[in-house]
Formats: sequence, C-alpha cells, structure tokens
Amino acid sequence: MTLVHNWHLGRTMEYPYFESRPEHQFAAVFNINRCIACQTCTMAHKSTWTYSKGQEYMWWNNVETKPYGGYPQHWDHKILQLLWDNGNNPMEWYTSAEDKDETKAPYGLYNGDTIFELAKTKGLNQVAVGYIPDDKEWRFPNIYEDTAASEKTNYETGPAAESSELPEHKRWFFYLQRICNHCTYPACLAACPRKAIYKRKEDGIVLIDQKRCRGYRKCVEQCPYKKPMYRGETRMSEKCIGCYPRVEGKDPITKGRRMEARCMAACVGKIRLNGLLTGDYKKPDPKNPMDWLIHIHKVALPLYPQFGTEPNIYYIPPRWAPRSYLRQMFGPGVDEALDKYAAPSRTLMAVLQLFRTTQTMLSKFEIEDGEKIYESEIMGKKVEVYNDTVIGFASDGTEMVRVKVEEPTWESDEKRMITY
Amino acid sequence: MMKCLLRKSVYFGSTLVVMFFLCSGVTFSQGLDKEISMEENIPTEEGLTVKYIASDLNGADLALGQAEPYTVNLQMQDLSFPNGGGSVLEVAIRGFHNGETIFFGIKWSDASKNDRAIAHAQFRDAVGLMFPLETVKVISPEKPFSPRMGDRGKAVNIWHWKADWEKELHVAGGKEHMEDEYPNMFTDFDFSPDPIHFHKEAFDSADLMAGGIAAGSLLSLPRGRSVEDLNAVGFGTLTSQENQDVNGKGSWNNGKWDVVIYRPLSTSDENDVQFVPGMSTFFNMAVWNGKEGDRNGQKSVSIRWRPLKIETVK
Repeated sequence: MTLVHNWHLGRTMEYPYFESRPEHQFAAVFNINRCIACQTCTMAHKSTWTYSKGQEYMWWNNVETKPYGGYPQHWDHKILQLLWDNGNNPMEWYTSAEDKDETKAPYGLYNGDTIFELAKTKGLNQVAVGYIPDDKEWRFPNIYEDTAASEKTNYETGPAAESSELPEHKRWFFYLQRICNHCTYPACLAACPRKAIYKRKEDGIVLIDQKRCRGYRKCVEQCPYKKPMYRGETRMSEKCIGCYPRVEGKDPITKGRRMEARCMAACVGKIRLNGLLTGDYKKPDPKNPMDWLIHIHKVALPLYPQFGTEPNIYYIPPRWAPRSYLRQMFGPGVDEALDKYAAPSRTLMAVLQLFRTTQTMLSKFEIEDGEKIYESEIMGKKVEVYNDTVIGFASDGTEMVRVKVEEPTWESDEKRMITY
Repeated sequence: MMKCLLRKSVYFGSTLVVMFFLCSGVTFSQGLDKEISMEENIPTEEGLTVKYIASDLNGADLALGQAEPYTVNLQMQDLSFPNGGGSVLEVAIRGFHNGETIFFGIKWSDASKNDRAIAHAQFRDAVGLMFPLETVKVISPEKPFSPRMGDRGKAVNIWHWKADWEKELHVAGGKEHMEDEYPNMFTDFDFSPDPIHFHKEAFDSADLMAGGIAAGSLLSLPRGRSVEDLNAVGFGTLTSQENQDVNGKGSWNNGKWDVVIYRPLSTSDENDVQFVPGMSTFFNMAVWNGKEGDRNGQKSVSIRWRPLKIETVK
C-alpha cells in the first residue's frame, strides 16, 4: 500500500498504487432535484452498449428510488454495513473551520477507515472490503420504485401537506442516478490481480481490457458501487466505458469536439451536465463549469465519499430528504450545498442553465449581465434573479451555446387558437 | 485543538513515511505483501519420475496405473493479494511418456463438481501444472527461481485444465451459453411456445457486442480443448499463448477429479517447455475449488518446486 491524497476525505489514505491523476477527469453533475425517473438515460445506455446476450441484466446506468431501491438490491446498505464493521468504524467527519482546506479538504476531515484501509485493519487478505451480489440481487433493477420512507404510517401522519414541508419532508423518497464513477482511486482497478483494468491518462475513464480480463470477478467483488458486471456469455467482466468514443470526439455530429456520454445527452429532465474536470484538483479553473460547480461553488457532492475511491460523478442533493440521510450519502458538504442550491447565487442560476443545452462538452463559460427580473425570500434568505446570459464554449474556444436565465416565451397568433 | 493535532499528525506522519521510503531506497513491490521465504527456493528432495511406457492416449489410464504416484502437498496461497484457497490439501500425480507424448495423471478429492462459470458467483474447478520455461538444473537460495508464478527473466510455462472447458468439449458447438445456466432466460414473463425465435435478434447478437469475442479470448470462444497453455513471469503476468498445444481429459466420480493432461514432448513453440527423455527439471502445482470461490491467486498451492525426471526411451 502507498499513501495518496483523497480530497473528498481531506487526508491521505492507503491505496495499492501511487497517486497518478489524469490530465483531465471525466466527470458529471447530476441535479437530483430535477430527476423524474423517466429512465431515458437508462435506455440510452442499454440500447447503445448492453443489448446483447449475456448483458440482459446489465444496467451500466440505472436510476433507483432511495432509500429502499437499489441495483443490485441493497448495494449501499450492504457496503455501509461492511464498512461500519459492527461499530468499530463509525465513519465520523471533523468539519470545523480548522479541519477544512479550500482545495485539499473542502468538506472537512474523514476520521474513519475507507474500504481499502478497513481491509488492511481487519487483515482481510484482499485490497478492499466487498462482496459479489448473487443472481437475485441483480434482478428487478427498479425494485421499490416510488416507495417512500416515513417515520409514521399514512394514518398517523394525517394529511400529506403536514408531512411534506421543507426543509425536511417527513415522508420522502428521491431518485438516485447511477453510472460508473470513474473513480480517481478505483477499487476495481486496485482489486484486479492481472492489472486488466486501467485508468486513461487523457480523460480518467476507467476501462477493462477485454484481452487481459480472465473473468475472476475481483472487480465485481470490490467495487463498492457495484458497477463492473460479469458477462456469463464471454466469461469476463464488463463495465461502463464512459462512451469514450464520444468523449474522444469520434462522433461526427460534434465535428471532432468532445461529446457528452449517451446517458447524459439523452436526459429529458435536464438534470445532467457532463464534462472534464481539471486534472489538478488544487488548481480548479473558475471558468470551467465542472470545476466551478464541484470545486469552487461546492454545490455538487460525491456519492459516498467515505468509501475512499474519490468518485467523479457529483450530485446536487435533493432539498427535501432528511439531512442525516443525505450526510451519510454525500458527506458533510450537504448543508452548504443545499443552502446554496435553495437560494441560488447569480452565477449558479446562470450555470444551471447550461445543463442539457448541447451535446458538446463545455469547458468554459462566460456570463453577460442582464436586468433584474424577480425577487423573493427563500428559507429566510433573500433571492434576486437576473436575466443574465450564459455562454458555453467547447475546448477549442468555439461558442456552442448562448442561453438566458429567463426562458423565452411567445404567444401564438389568435388564428391558431382554434378549438375543435 | 485535538482535531487540529490529529489532522496535522496525519499530514506529518505521511510525510515521514514517504521520506523514510525515499531515503531508505526501498522499492515497493505493489501487491506483494510478504517477501518470498528462503524455504521456497529449496526444491523438495523427492519428486516425480515420468516413466517410459509404450502406450498412447487410449491406454493412458492403464499406463498411469503402472506409474508410481507422487503426492504434492498444498496450502493456502498467502503471498500475493488476493489470498485464498487451502481447501484442497493434497493432489496425487503420475506421469509417463511414450517417446513422443508426455502424459500426466492427476487426482484430487473435491466433494463438489463445479464445471460451469456463467452465473455471477459461479467458479470452476481447475488444476495447474507449472514448469520453468528454460531448462533449470539447480534451484537454491543462491540460484533462486520463484515457485509461485516465476519471475522477471525467469519465465514459466503453465498448463491449466479447466472443468468447464472439459464439459464444453462434449456440448454441441463446443461452448455453453447463458441459456444453459438460465433455461428460462427469455421466457420469464411470456408463454410463447417458441421463445428463441421470438427473441432471435437478442439471441444472435452476442458476437456483435462482445469484447471477449472481439478480442479473440479463448475464454469466450469455442476452443476445442480443456487445457490452456500459458506463460507467466511473476504475479499478474499470466498470458495465454498464441499456439495452444496442450490437451487433456477429465472426469469427476465419487468426490474425486481424475484428470489426464498430455502434450508432445517437444513442440516448435519457443514459449513451450521442451522435454527430452533423460532430462531433469522441476514442476509445481495448484488446485482451484470452485465451490469455495477459488480463482486467480485464491487457490490451493504448493510453495516449493518438485524435481521432475523423464526416463530415457527403452
């Protein structure tokens, strides 16, 4: 094991390989608040990559209903239980000002074992704690769809209105969109005894070399997010490939420019923004929408940072779910992120407009000021909305999109208002 | 204040550790948790003699019956991550050659027959034979040669018999498919009397979107044999050969695997170990128990080389 810095945890941690960050990192921001679970992302993925024999059960992209849903079933409960280790590893965070650092420890300091460290602490004879889900756990990928959690029964809670008031609904669920996190410290990569898994230097996408893979399923066992999957037909494992031909700009539609992955581009609810993070997390680019949302504004958070893999899909947490649940899932940055999202700043309001406006990956944004159009108070905080214009640029500097905060509307001609 | 100290100690501690390694000149062996022990470079005194018997494959079982069995003790693999195995404690091996082909008869106890690896948590039974690729006269602590998977500059040739490959030799098309493990895979929720035609496109599309098949992996394609011919130069380097020359047959009866592995004494492949009657070399073995989830380094393994003598032709 070597020591590497994990900025999600705000500390160094043990990992089987040396720290080697890519030049750019494939990343995405998913705004959970906007997801309607239409599963268009899921089907975009399915029809592109896993429609063939042996892949029937594979959903590299899936949307599950939290807290009960999960694909494979109860994956996060099971990993959390393993990591909890009967209370020996309480997974605490220190979040005072002196525990934080703007770039190296933005959420505070994690005082607990990661999946790698716990395996060593317990002498498990493998690189991380984990398990292989059995056949029945891979079935019914959308089990518990729309099933709400509630402290009390419907009868006890009375009218729905009483149990659905912000900041925390008493009866709640939310959708969690999941793909491979293309982690900075992938557990699948660490687990592979053959080094068949590699992380690309140019964009940080994690791939399984189908010439080297021998179907040992150590990646399936040790990825905490359960995103490598075994294909019985070919006797080897497969995983989300980040639509790398599109990210490389091989699709003619974007004329050689980097293109968002299929699941991202297909998003109907406009919840997804896909792009590349600056490789050096200590020097985020304030003009890169990914860097700005994740590193600078900190409104988008990693999924289960305590696992220790430094996952690279970031989430804007749902406003209504219990904070304790969200802190467990997204770390201690939840309160700050939700404060910022509930009463968005002028810049955030503009950047959020970029979601799903183009298939080209945006690497730069600029904002042109507009007039004030709205003023209100949200959760005791004054909010002013300006009709600013946000402009998105591709990495070659070409302007790809120009959009205003206020959606343009027009009234149809009276002649068209015929009712039959 | 305490938290602040803890945080600083984490940074400070890690800096110290890094400085220690930089100054001491210690190089990391990634994945290797323990150093190889001295004992591992001392081969056992007794070994296997491959007798000359003028017999062929048809008479192999009879001929092997005449050969002296040699028992190889096995243990858990605990050197390279992931550790595992240890459920099979010994394996018996016999050998003979007829001047052209060398035969090894291998028997071990395994209460469960695991000859399929299609479901997520389904693993095969297997046995591996390993030889130094080049002729090696002496192995000693002064002239080390890792008995695990060879080492850089010290390649090994590995013959790996797989229970599922053996089974697939005898099925139509030479390979089992998803529907063999999941006979109702297309029909869970419909009552079509002819479901395969109903879902024909999905059924036939495997080749189109299968990395393993596109990469030409022997694991993914019908290969017409039950033994894989491989090379390695240390942990994590196992590589299947272009030219596959090793064959085998095996059967499981009453809690025992009985496997015969055979190959011409000499081949034209530079990646193959070459046997000449009268020579001496070494061999080593490992057994995988699918029921226990054995695969890769999770295996029951012998940690010392065993001498191998090949009788001259009489």
